[in-house]
Amino acid sequence: MKKKLLSALLATAMTAALLAGCGSSESATAEGGEAQTEGASEGASSEGAASEAGENKLTVYAWDANFNIPALQAAADDYKANVDSEFELEIIEQSQSSDIENAITLAGSAGDYSTLPDIVLFQDHWFHKYQKDYPDAFVPVDDAEVDWNDFGAEKLSYSVVDGTPYGFPVDNGTVIFAYRVDLLEECGYTIDDMTGISWADFIKIGEEVYNKTGKYLLCMDGDGNDLIYMMLQAEGESQFKDGKPYITENGTLVEIIGVIEEMLDKNVLYLTNDWSGYTNQAILGDMVAGVMNGNWIIPTISQVEENSGKWEITSLPTLNGGEGYASNGGSSLYITANCKNVDLAKKFLSYTFGGSAATYDAALTNGGVITCCVSAGQSDVYNQGVAYFNDQPIYAKIVEMGANVPIVEQSDYHYTCRTQIAAAVINIHNGADTMTALQEAEDQLNFEMGN
Amino acid sequence: MNRKKKEMNITAKQQAAGWAFLTPATLLLVIMSFYPIIQAFIMALKTGSSANMQWCEPITYNFTRMFSDKLFMRSVVNTFLYLLIEVPIMLVLAILLAQLLNNKDLKFKGFFRTCVFLPCATSLVSYALIFKSLFATEGLINSILVKVGILSENFNFLGTTYTAKAIIIIALIWRWTGYNMVFFLAGLQNIEYSVYEAAKIDGASGWKTFWHITVPLLKPTIVMTMIMSINGTLQLFDESVNLTKGGPANSTITMSHYIYNSSFGEGTTNFGYAAAMSFFIFILVAVLAFINMKVGDTRD
Repeated sequence: MKKKLLSALLATAMTAALLAGCGSSESATAEGGEAQTEGASEGASSEGAASEAGENKLTVYAWDANFNIPALQAAADDYKANVDSEFELEIIEQSQSSDIENAITLAGSAGDYSTLPDIVLFQDHWFHKYQKDYPDAFVPVDDAEVDWNDFGAEKLSYSVVDGTPYGFPVDNGTVIFAYRVDLLEECGYTIDDMTGISWADFIKIGEEVYNKTGKYLLCMDGDGNDLIYMMLQAEGESQFKDGKPYITENGTLVEIIGVIEEMLDKNVLYLTNDWSGYTNQAILGDMVAGVMNGNWIIPTISQVEENSGKWEITSLPTLNGGEGYASNGGSSLYITANCKNVDLAKKFLSYTFGGSAATYDAALTNGGVITCCVSAGQSDVYNQGVAYFNDQPIYAKIVEMGANVPIVEQSDYHYTCRTQIAAAVINIHNGADTMTALQEAEDQLNFEMGN
Repeated sequence: MNRKKKEMNITAKQQAAGWAFLTPATLLLVIMSFYPIIQAFIMALKTGSSANMQWCEPITYNFTRMFSDKLFMRSVVNTFLYLLIEVPIMLVLAILLAQLLNNKDLKFKGFFRTCVFLPCATSLVSYALIFKSLFATEGLINSILVKVGILSENFNFLGTTYTAKAIIIIALIWRWTGYNMVFFLAGLQNIEYSVYEAAKIDGASGWKTFWHITVPLLKPTIVMTMIMSINGTLQLFDESVNLTKGGPANSTITMSHYIYNSSFGEGTTNFGYAAAMSFFIFILVAVLAFINMKVGDTRD
């Protein structure tokens, strides 16, 4: 009996230990993000992320092996071949853009930037907020030898804070509307019919396309819904006014929400649960006859080989008809506080991304990265027809559209706003009242902004 | 006198040994747990970017703020919904499974026990992703239901509020039942077989034996698994993040997920507010565990 009692005690002690162990492991997962970034930056520091002073080498954090990394490689090759044969660029691939944001957050919180590389690729919509939160993290590049006027003004506005340029634009976020011309033709339309139409006409055509072909004329990620922002920008409007959310009072926005709900009800628009649903299920799964997003979506569209030659691109519809232009996503390169060869970094970035045709041509051919640098966009490579898009010279078209994108008010809370309005769109679709749902989104946004 | 001194020495030695064994663990606990807790509390009183945090004005701003934060309140409601539905179902299933697998005459006992415990050995993220692909609009479950004729067309399980919540609960039950069953199995081993024999002689039915002997004798284990499950569910994170990303429209978000979003997920880097909300969970866990222990206390 005594032995039994003892073993019972032991069992309780062991389970108690397990309880404690379980508790701590659960809290570790709850703070998984923190642990992850810590791990990432630790890994970086052991590698010695930044280069040593006086070296001919630079390090850079970047993501997307199919898009941004080939562009950086192109720049490195260009600089090595034409300026400095000793030059070396070490590209440290990150799995996603938020890894870099977290690396900055962590370094900034610790007040120790020594974990960062020389250069980081950073998302445009985030930059202003991070520059404000961690003012010491980035080095201004106002003295770099670059013709800033050569860049699209809208794109450049993301990396300029209070008149001081901080970054070198890499890609071009100009929104394209790509249509399956073969399916449009089945319904008796051409790409020209889709150019400069109103959303009301678009819905009529979309219904027809869905009924005839079973494919949606538009799709989007319902969780990170960029439609509202893009449609608003095409009207020259923003979700923000004088730094405050501009939602319920914004007649254009309310009208756009109405259009989106109508498209959802009439099977013109398909909203997926998340981003992978958008790319893998809707686009790669061949569920759609049209895609509207930043032109970085082109490599995804092009993965469906059997549809080669069946796509063409044009501008966006608008509420009252007429061609709409917008820009969504994209990133720029920034020099961090940890860079010990700032002059070299500036020289390298100004020479390559500042307007070198060799860099941008190779970036386009290898990664599909389209420049927002107007002069570089005039090279031959840009004017060639693209087989996948029915031999349309889409790159020249995108550069041309990019010059027309209106500048609208930006906010540090761009993504918070996107999340709230995306939630409102889903709630309205599920039966909530439009104005109530938008009011709720605006309240939550004001709350998060501390207004 | 001399002898007495020696005895004291032995006691002193034993005490010293005791302290020596305790010190490393205590030190680690203080450095790795208590110090961060205090730091987190200080952080909860501050606001602003993590590079330059300022004291809140008023000092309790982060704590009062969460009660007027509709999204946080929704995450609290969601978490309690998961708790109230999932924990009872899971524990009852775990006891029943333990009882079944404790049967002396059962063949391949080890095999069945391993099967039930196996989900627990899978990583939280990978099982969440597998559930996600199973219940995707074009996933296996949809294909089966459509083929069998229960559904007429594919249903967006994870994109609809109620089904998304239900799937999180199903996933939790799948993942954690086996884990709790192991504790009950261990508890069952400690019940004297003679007690059951006596019950049999007195003519008690299987159900009566279970209800009047097994359950009372398992009470300490039940209380412990309850505390653990409540604690674990209140800190639920992986399922919300990986299965639904809190969606659709934040309707399945949990408290820990919202805390993560406030600090890293959405780039808002509001660490002060996130720390304050963590303390809210901390207090909730403590209060619930306390109530549970009082209720489960056998010393009347």
